[in-house]
Amino acid sequence: MGLLRYSLHMKGAHLWIGYASATGLAATSTLIGKLMAPRFDIVNIAMVYLLSLVVVALCFSRGAAILSAVLSVAMFDFLFVPPQGTFTINDVQYLLTFAIMLAVALIISSLMETRRRHDRQRAALELQADTERVRSTLLASISHDLRTPLAVMTGASSSLVESGDKMSRIERNALASSIYGQAREMSEQVSKILQMTRLETGGITVDFDWASIAEIVGSVLARLSERLARHRVVVLIPKDLPLVRIDATLIEQALANLMENAARHTPPGTLVQVRAQCMGHEMVVTVEDFGPGIPACDLDGLFSKFQHGASERSGVGLGLAICRAILQLHKGRVWADKLPDGGIAFRFALPLTDAPLLPATEAC
Amino acid sequence: MTHPGATVLIVEDEPEIRRFLRSALGAEGFKVVESATARRGAIDATTHKPDMAIIDLGLPDYDGIDVIRQIRAWSPMPIIVLSARTQESSKIRAFETGADDYITKPFGIGELLARIRVALRRALHATPTQHTITLGEADIDIESRAAMRAGKAVHLTPTEFRIVACLAKHLGMVVTHKQLLTEVWGPQHASDTHYLRIYLKQIRDKLEVDPVQPRHFITETGIGYRLVESQRATPGTVGT
Repeated sequence: MGLLRYSLHMKGAHLWIGYASATGLAATSTLIGKLMAPRFDIVNIAMVYLLSLVVVALCFSRGAAILSAVLSVAMFDFLFVPPQGTFTINDVQYLLTFAIMLAVALIISSLMETRRRHDRQRAALELQADTERVRSTLLASISHDLRTPLAVMTGASSSLVESGDKMSRIERNALASSIYGQAREMSEQVSKILQMTRLETGGITVDFDWASIAEIVGSVLARLSERLARHRVVVLIPKDLPLVRIDATLIEQALANLMENAARHTPPGTLVQVRAQCMGHEMVVTVEDFGPGIPACDLDGLFSKFQHGASERSGVGLGLAICRAILQLHKGRVWADKLPDGGIAFRFALPLTDAPLLPATEAC
Repeated sequence: MTHPGATVLIVEDEPEIRRFLRSALGAEGFKVVESATARRGAIDATTHKPDMAIIDLGLPDYDGIDVIRQIRAWSPMPIIVLSARTQESSKIRAFETGADDYITKPFGIGELLARIRVALRRALHATPTQHTITLGEADIDIESRAAMRAGKAVHLTPTEFRIVACLAKHLGMVVTHKQLLTEVWGPQHASDTHYLRIYLKQIRDKLEVDPVQPRHFITETGIGYRLVESQRATPGTVGT
């Protein structure tokens, strides 16, 4: 089974090179043997074959080594062992020579197999350790970002239970509001973690259908109305913007993450601008904010998991990573540009496809 | 608008969730009937004759969808689904079975109360004789097929009108893409979602103050559309 899997695993080309080399080396040994034949003892010729066999067993697969052993034995027997020109053997001791050749081929190739397997295991372990590192970063990030709201919720709610009677109505309300606020914050973070996990494990089926970006923008604005209440939002979408073939729910999520990001990182009262336009074979959607911006060197790292912008105080840094994963599913891309006057523009591009067949036009 | 004494049936297996629903709805003047299982819920719906039902989907004995189906077999009472299931497919199934609204857990009580009021108002006013709807500065007379906006007649094409009428028939409720397409264009067009994208844009351009941030023709992304009526600050005469 292991051998089979390994053989399948090996690149086909490498496999053929192994067999070709086994054949070639056996032929070369034969040639050398022929040159040696008059002056050297037949045992030394066997040694030449053994040497070629060892080389094949060291460098190639077990199959090539066995082929090499069989060819060597066959050629040695046929050409050198008396009676020459037949596979008949006069002397039993040559049987031992053959057995040893085969044994050497098998032992060396199995040693090499073991070593290759260990190498593969070590590589797999390293990959696993890498995944572990990412996971523990995620866990650290989650536990930090979830523990804070949990601490507030536990503290505030236990205060209400233990000494609510002694508090004023305003105090009680303030505590309850803070529990509510933190719980909502936490709920959003948990949804993001779940979403990222689903995106990464392929647990999301992408449901492509015709959608209108204007409609999605409207839906996001309605969803984030509370969060964007203290910003000025301007929408710039041409009237004749074509439909795009996307999973509207996922793209809405991506856009919502960008808008939420803009709201979170810019001071109240500043402008958040949403645009959509066709550029070549793509539709580009842009969310521009006019906040403090981020150092240029950070722009590329922004979209990797767990990266937090410098001014970020809360939030699992997953929003942008989710955007990137969603755009990857759409064969699109997402990136960030620094704006000349300090803000930052997050953009994503979706491939444009041929327009769908329209319903028959009706008389007005 | 309040609904003093309206009875609300809560079908939910989680006692902690029932507890705060009971307190909050009680504080708002509703009578509450609680069922912890789907079987019990279906029975309580017939014996208590509630004004509306709030139903969890993940119930211990069988799915909340079946409770909705059983209630819909005999009653048009408003049904709000309360579920931890966030997938669009689950919502679509609930709407197509006859749910009026769908709220995902966790939720704020303010949101739930607002939806309860909308649902009860719709049930109260959804009499077969209601043929005019008010959408901000626009009025639509379903029967005479006339639309007015800020006192001026607005021309809607026959298809646009069929869409508005279909949404108006389920005023305040989500109509799924499939339901809308089937009703307006027929079952062979049930998956031609792009028809809706194009027509809803035209309708919004004609009837919404800000077509990009619609207040009446609401998009339920991945699910369908919902028509939300609103009263003007100073109600004028309706219709033609």
